[in-house]
Amino acid sequence: MIVANYLTAAAVFCAGLYTVLTRRNLIKIVMGLSLMEAATYLLMVSLAYRADSTAPVLLNPPRGQSPQQLAEGNVADPVLQNFCLTAIVIGVAVTAVFLSVVVRIAQHYRTLDADQVRELRG
Amino acid sequence: MSRPEPAEEEPRRHTAAGLLLVLSFAAVLTAALVGIPREHAALPPIARYALVTSLPKWRLTEPVNEVVYGTRGFDTFGETFLLFAAVMSVIVIARHRESRHGYFGEQSAGLREQAKADPAEGATADESAARRAERAERAAAASQTPDDTPLGAPAPEQAEAMTVVVRTAVRLVAPVLAVAGCYLAAWGYSPGGGFPGGAIMVGVLLLVYAAFGRLMIARIVRPGLLETLEVAGAAVIIGTELLGLVLRGSFSANWLPLAPPQTIRSGGIIQLFSAGEFVEVGTGLAIVIFSLLTMRHDWTPDEQPQPEEYRG
Repeated sequence: MIVANYLTAAAVFCAGLYTVLTRRNLIKIVMGLSLMEAATYLLMVSLAYRADSTAPVLLNPPRGQSPQQLAEGNVADPVLQNFCLTAIVIGVAVTAVFLSVVVRIAQHYRTLDADQVRELRG
Repeated sequence: MSRPEPAEEEPRRHTAAGLLLVLSFAAVLTAALVGIPREHAALPPIARYALVTSLPKWRLTEPVNEVVYGTRGFDTFGETFLLFAAVMSVIVIARHRESRHGYFGEQSAGLREQAKADPAEGATADESAARRAERAERAAAASQTPDDTPLGAPAPEQAEAMTVVVRTAVRLVAPVLAVAGCYLAAWGYSPGGGFPGGAIMVGVLLLVYAAFGRLMIARIVRPGLLETLEVAGAAVIIGTELLGLVLRGSFSANWLPLAPPQTIRSGGIIQLFSAGEFVEVGTGLAIVIFSLLTMRHDWTPDEQPQPEEYRG
């Protein structure tokens, strides 16, 4: 029933999207973006799952299989695990840039409310 | 005694429209996710290709590392420079008005001089008494290392380090974690690699910082050192990938002799790429975290109340 994981990922993504759309606090908007990123990690790792499979590691294969048999056999998807690894690093980088911009906005405008930041000031 | 906490004023906007949009998006997303392949589907050809070629072509028993640094190395290459660009943006956004040699400390360097009375002016008896008390309080906190501070010293709010319990625990744990981080990157034929290894090294740095204060890490956490290492890691990655183009005729092709499987050097350039990534991720995250921690408000002057006639 891996579809439950897919739907949980959709729910987490929508919670993040709702946060981004309706909150005005900039920190909470960044938190909403992080939630959306986390939902994609969950989706990708769930997509990599196969029923009764083992980890895609050819070191010490289980049940007396040879590594080559394991490579042809029932294992989880290594490409999606790679995507997840990549996405985590990009997520950290994006969050860091957003947070530093938020700190500068807070220092410049003295507020975290996105609605107060519309006016142009010198 | 307990007062009810005042309800927080949480500013929101367009709640109804947002809810409508999110619900319709959720419906689309659910319809899509119900239809995609599930746990009984066959592996996609690219995944099977990575699994089958990992051992013969790269002599690597870890297909995920083979995908990250080998088959889809170009992907990781682009992602590395996305991280690099993000680190540079944070450095630019978080930079101080004057150039600094350290992330910490220079704002507190002048504090001692500031705290002294103006010698020409002299001090009143009250001032001298207050300063004596301040000095006595600071003497406990300002010793060279936190371990010189006697237990139960006054002025805990000035203490840089945490308690002896935390310090001892971090002393025991930090070397183990640091070795584990290097192990993950070095033993590339088992799960791990440069990304988690680098992240663990940043964790060790933050543990030491939290437990012992900034003096303990001040020699390592300097912009000059971290930024040089970061760019050196990026240079290793570019060189590794470009040498494939020069020596083997295709970008990110393997140009190193393949060692036997289950040795540190098995995987050829994968291990070199992973090592570069280890340095790149470790120093990049450290730069980002310490830049954010030391962002100070020295760009915009405090707002001056403007005279009435100048207002627009």
